[in-house]
Amino acid sequence: MSTPSHGGTSRRLPGRALLVTSLGVALATGSGVVACRSQPPDDFGPSVASVSTSPVPAPAATTATAAPAGVPVRDGTLPARAATETPPARLRIPALDLDVAVDAVGIDAATGDFAVPPSVSRVGWYRYGPGFSSPAGSIVVAGHVDSAAEGKGAFFRLGTLKAGDVVTLTGPGGKVREFTVAARKRYAKSAIPLDDYFARDGAPRLTLITCGGPFDPKTRHYRDNVVVTATVRG
Amino acid sequence: MRTLHLHRAAVVGAVTLIGLGAAATPAFAEADSKVSVVHGIPGQAVDVYVNGEKTIPDFQPGKVAGPLDLPAGQYDIVLTKPGDPIGSALLTVNDAEVPGGANLSLVAHLSADGKPVLTPFANDTGKLAAGKARLIVRHTAAAPAVDVRAGGQPVFEGVTNPKEGKADVDAGSVSADVVLAGTQTRVLGPADLDLKEGTATIVYAVGSAEGKTLDIVAQTIDGLHSAPGGVPSGNGGFADQGTPIAWYGAGAVGILLAMFGLTRLASRRR
Repeated sequence: MSTPSHGGTSRRLPGRALLVTSLGVALATGSGVVACRSQPPDDFGPSVASVSTSPVPAPAATTATAAPAGVPVRDGTLPARAATETPPARLRIPALDLDVAVDAVGIDAATGDFAVPPSVSRVGWYRYGPGFSSPAGSIVVAGHVDSAAEGKGAFFRLGTLKAGDVVTLTGPGGKVREFTVAARKRYAKSAIPLDDYFARDGAPRLTLITCGGPFDPKTRHYRDNVVVTATVRG
Repeated sequence: MRTLHLHRAAVVGAVTLIGLGAAATPAFAEADSKVSVVHGIPGQAVDVYVNGEKTIPDFQPGKVAGPLDLPAGQYDIVLTKPGDPIGSALLTVNDAEVPGGANLSLVAHLSADGKPVLTPFANDTGKLAAGKARLIVRHTAAAPAVDVRAGGQPVFEGVTNPKEGKADVDAGSVSADVVLAGTQTRVLGPADLDLKEGTATIVYAVGSAEGKTLDIVAQTIDGLHSAPGGVPSGNGGFADQGTPIAWYGAGAVGILLAMFGLTRLASRRR
């Protein structure tokens, strides 16, 4: 249909049609760019299973397995009170200009969910799992990406962390433990392998969790969780 | 104080271990069972023989041994005074049935009327919900029926030898005591129980009320934890990076406009 004929009927300049065309092209291109740029960054790093099964500095050798031939025998005394994990006090992520207080939290009795601190400017350490100085397992810290009441949360930009970024935990007495980001994954909340992320064995690692993905304004929930796994530095 | 004296004469077959309660049925008895041995008879250390082999030498009262990994089958268990020949047993149980894939505690204790017996208990090692701990209290003492109280409230009532009370409770510390059933007469405790999350804490009441040797022995089974149900960590919607629907609309309008404009251009050139 578009056989070019230079002797065509050009009573009027094709200005309006050209304008419409270029406007249309601009709109289509612009929205395409927006759509592409708003795609979340791709996941990276090894799967949680392979992180957790990487070599462990054999901390599991409790007294029970010490004697190879004999049967281990223990005192039948009541378990000691003191055997709790060390809570981390602060979490620092220089790449995000983040330096945030860490609360020791457990389970929301009403829901059975992780009891993330309600304040978006604090993050919560899962006190039933491995702690600051645990030699094995996943130290889990979760924080709000945002809240309706308080706006952006401490972990708002968690999903922008890159491999090798440094994450620092501060324990009691100012002791510091450094980690580097090894993996970042996004899962639908219905599909996230929580058992792996909350494992109490395997290589020592720090697991940071927040929300992400599409937001449902009706239920006021995000569809996904964003999870960053950091391994012990050095 | 007069502790109960164990006669050298064998108490043969004081207990048959048949019908291990809720233990796994032997129908799928492939895996080994974990068997812990609990010594709840006051005042007498023993050597424990399993199928004629000295397995736990000089086993002291109040101690917990194991777990042993035992394939499903029948076992002869003999308790002797330390160093004594197997022939002069304190307690002998023949053909004790161990099912496959179970977790058992084999408890040497006194019966309600003060005789040494060996009782197998099947341990509930089912996964606990996040934040929970399992409390199991076993009456293995020469004593009448008791109530077990936590924080002053009865949690297990009318427990008799050799029965247990069991509950999954919030992890944490609780003050517990044992009273004669239906009374306020305390026979044990109060003791602070630190119920660790993801762990079963098994408390045995042992000894003899008459002999004033009542005591407790504790055993724990860990690794029963589960992950939380979820990690809800945002309800603002500010971090939704999805493309707002308006942009898709704009894109569609743009494509239509462009097509319209091109058609006009083309038709004008005809």
